[in-house]
Amino acid sequence: MSYNIHIQRQEISALFDLKGPSEALQEWAGKHLPVFPSHPNSKTIKDEMELSFIGRNHWILRAPLSQEQSLAGRLMPESCPSDISIVRISDTLTFFGISGPDAPEVMAIACPLDLHASVFLEGMITYSEVFGIKALVSHYDGGFEFAVEQSFGDMIVDYLNRAIT
Amino acid sequence: MMLIHCPFCGKRSESEFIYGGPVGADRPNPDAVSDAQWVEYLTVTPNPLGPVQEKWWHARGCGEWLTIWRDTRTHDIVEAPENAQ
Repeated sequence: MSYNIHIQRQEISALFDLKGPSEALQEWAGKHLPVFPSHPNSKTIKDEMELSFIGRNHWILRAPLSQEQSLAGRLMPESCPSDISIVRISDTLTFFGISGPDAPEVMAIACPLDLHASVFLEGMITYSEVFGIKALVSHYDGGFEFAVEQSFGDMIVDYLNRAIT
Repeated sequence: MMLIHCPFCGKRSESEFIYGGPVGADRPNPDAVSDAQWVEYLTVTPNPLGPVQEKWWHARGCGEWLTIWRDTRTHDIVEAPENAQ
């Protein structure tokens, strides 16, 4: 059986892993970030930057790679207070976009999440599994996106190709 | 497959979690208990026929540690017994 989907391995993004109390993070870098999302596994967007709330006191900031240096300059990870942590992780994750009419079918093969649109709402983002590997999964208009560790990227391409043919 | 309720993410597949063992007794003061009681604390883990409290780690999720009560007879996640501490 073949599926009507489009798989795209995305270019590297600028990624920063933010940990600590939200008040402390906002005090240190709030003016450079989107508004902090209030609901677990949701995200906010501002000027091409996405701030995702993916764990208790844990956020991931994503932006185009062209903004990486300027963001690092503004967030100043090396000199942040001891109660927060800001780490550049741009080269640790590789993103895949899965779009098309059969995208939910293929994602259902790969991922144990309840991906129905009434449960995993558009705009939600969460850590889960894709083919048994920890992955950051999000739902956007027309499809899904997920990120796995870079080193698993080629293996995930292989798994996806096997799943859709 | 069990669906485990994560306090941050909601109900998730068991496959996203790693079992962290049963919730044991609080660590006693080794100077205030007998050798037998100390050995029991170190080596005997709860293994009841019925509800047991367990620790689970949402390792392939948000990273939260949580405790649940699971009935060893049915494998169902259940409410805490009334006499639970």
